[in-house]
Amino acid sequence: MSDYDAIVVGSGAGGGVAAAVLAEAGKSVLLLERGRALSFEQVGRDHLRNQRLAVYGHNAGPDIEGNPRTLDPASFPIPVGKQQGAQRILRPHEPGYQNNAACVGSGTRVYAGQAWRFMPQDFRMASEYGVPEGSSLADWPISYADLLPYYERVEWEVGVSGDHSSMTHLPAYDMPYPMPALPLPQKSKVHQSGLAALGWQSLRVPRLINSVGYNGRPACINCQHCVGFACPVDAKNGSHNTTIPRALQSGNCSLRSEVMVERLMCSGGGTVTGVHIINELGLRESIRADVVLLSCGAVETARLLLNSATAQEPSGIGNQSDQVGRHLQGHYYPGAVGIFPEKMYDGLGPGCSVATCEFNHGNAGLIGGGMLTDEDIVTPITFWKRDYPPDAPRWGLAAKQFMRENFCRINDIKGPVQEIPNPDARVQVNPAVRDRYGIPVAHLSGTSHPETVRTATFMRERAIEWLRASGAVKVWGQQPRQYLSGGQHQAGTCRMGEDPAHSVVDSFCRVHSHSNLFIADASPHVSNGGFNPVETIMALAWRTTENIVASW
Amino acid sequence: MSALFDECQLRCLAALLDTLIPPDDFPGAWDAGVGDYLQRQLQGDLADLGSSYHDFLRCLDAAARHLHKRDFADLALDARSELLHKVENHQITASWMLEPGKFFPKIVEHCGEGYYSDPGNGGNREGIAWQMIGFEVRG
Ligand SMILES: Cc1cc2nc3c(=O)[nH]c(=O)nc-3n(C[C@H](O)[C@H](O)[C@H](O)COP(=O)(O)OP(=O)(O)OC[C@H]3O[C@@H](n4cnc5c(N)ncnc54)[C@H](O)[C@@H]3O)c2cc1C
Ligand code: SF4
Repeated sequence: MSDYDAIVVGSGAGGGVAAAVLAEAGKSVLLLERGRALSFEQVGRDHLRNQRLAVYGHNAGPDIEGNPRTLDPASFPIPVGKQQGAQRILRPHEPGYQNNAACVGSGTRVYAGQAWRFMPQDFRMASEYGVPEGSSLADWPISYADLLPYYERVEWEVGVSGDHSSMTHLPAYDMPYPMPALPLPQKSKVHQSGLAALGWQSLRVPRLINSVGYNGRPACINCQHCVGFACPVDAKNGSHNTTIPRALQSGNCSLRSEVMVERLMCSGGGTVTGVHIINELGLRESIRADVVLLSCGAVETARLLLNSATAQEPSGIGNQSDQVGRHLQGHYYPGAVGIFPEKMYDGLGPGCSVATCEFNHGNAGLIGGGMLTDEDIVTPITFWKRDYPPDAPRWGLAAKQFMRENFCRINDIKGPVQEIPNPDARVQVNPAVRDRYGIPVAHLSGTSHPETVRTATFMRERAIEWLRASGAVKVWGQQPRQYLSGGQHQAGTCRMGEDPAHSVVDSFCRVHSHSNLFIADASPHVSNGGFNPVETIMALAWRTTENIVASW
Repeated sequence: MSALFDECQLRCLAALLDTLIPPDDFPGAWDAGVGDYLQRQLQGDLADLGSSYHDFLRCLDAAARHLHKRDFADLALDARSELLHKVENHQITASWMLEPGKFFPKIVEHCGEGYYSDPGNGGNREGIAWQMIGFEVRG
């Protein structure tokens, strides 16, 4: 006898959608989340400890202590964390850990809510470009058309503001966005003039933010603490205030936070029977369900499958072809910072408003490309620590005057690069290092593919070109280097495909070897587009879960 | 009073921080609360740096006495800045474990953190640094 029809592990972007679709279809659902349900006050406004600038900690989990990962030192260009034997041990806020978040809503609690559809070409990268040596670039088994109805559902049901007519890099929209684009801050007007001067496409960034009252919640009040923080008026749409409440309101879903899923429960045949958890009190429990969906994020979903090894599947569930955990990718985020003659800052958050997809595809000699956008407003300390010109005075009256004269005149352009997957960029488990529950932690190794670095180098040049066209009198920014990517945009570790020899899940995100085990997060992404991934994660989870319900 | 520094060390620390971010028509680091930020951090995230700070302050006073026959805190801003430039350029070495030129950039970072981060961290008193640079908080 099962305790629930379905268990969803992880309450982030994918898990929220999965729980809502199942519960509204009348299935009894248990939604499990290892992190806490965080109030606005608990997320807080600490400029040194947040999911955007994590100098001494962060604000949306996981807890700094008790949740380590290990890293092959060769994967990162600078020493990070602490050396232990042949590997580095990292805490969650340290570079190289590949953190997104751990709380009810996960990254969607504190994200910027940029709401991008991938482009049709992004689903057939191998066909478009061929497969470079050393890469596992492949086509998705589904197309843009397959996801389109679900993109529309995310845009209308989770709530996106934008201007569909400006999205000229995509096939024409059948449905507009439900809300108009957010008001344009001064700096974005300047950047629009730069795009016009260059003759590049200029679009309004679609965002999971209410520009007018929507779904019973108010419009954005432009507080500027968008990316890395929670919204003071609940105008930012994430799993915690859209899909999860929907699931709960149906009366069919229970949410349990501060519960860690330790292992999948298996029958020995081709099915799973539930999960083994460590509950709110630190006690072990086993819960049975007819269907299990994993939505733990790309690193933790792979870790959970690998930690669920059985006598029949000694290398982990779904891992017969040694594919679980491979092809880890995220987004290189190249760009540059510029200083302008006029004031760019007007205090109108969130900030990131205009973008160009001029270079997502069709760049001679490159594989793919990426989107570029003006960024969300940075806090003064983020500017001081991250965006400060390397040749400006760092201390003394001159440094103080530099900050005073220029904080309002500085602005950055950057964007996510479509990464070229490397099968050796991977998640394994490390039985020698345990988390606070005694569970083997994720071990990360490998690095990015050289083609990714090449594209990033090209995109950085385009960012500089745009800044100059907007009037920047001086620009600076780091050259991309090779390192293991993943981070907040992590994806790819349980890739989708028709052939079980080269993939973990099928085209409906069902684990090939297990008829009732599904993945509903970023792990199935075969490639990760040149766009922030969350709308695609939600759309794919919607499609996956709707199919589960339809074929129940 | 401070649990971490005696009177003499506090004087030196204040002079150090006010050399990194000196007062003009807006407060310097010390009056903006960077000392409070730092002392809080030295009992928290930066707890393992307390003795390095002690060593660094000792080194500054020793160098000031050697070069100017006075404590660091009794020097004018120009002389303090000149001395810190020497530290930064590794022209001043200490006879103990700490290498002042290597530690100095960390102090610069900490000072900026206290001055420009949110007042909740103990510095940037009443958001004075944000007023100076024009960052306004809404909502
Ligand atoms: C500051 C910030 C800004 C961002 N901005 C954007 C943006 O503008 N646009 C965009 O597209 N994306 C953005 N992202 C990224 C976006 O949040 C992620 O892509 C998205 O949340 C990933 O969805 P997911 O379903 O794959 O996993 P997640 O949303 O990470 O969900 C995984 C959840 O599973 C839980 N979990 C893991 N393992 C277990 C276990 N064993 N037991 C129980 N629970 C478990 C985790 O705690 C977590 O809550 C941002 C992220 C951050 C942090
Ligand atoms: S900028 Fe707007 S949407 Fe973002 S957190 Fe502030 S009020 Fe909310």
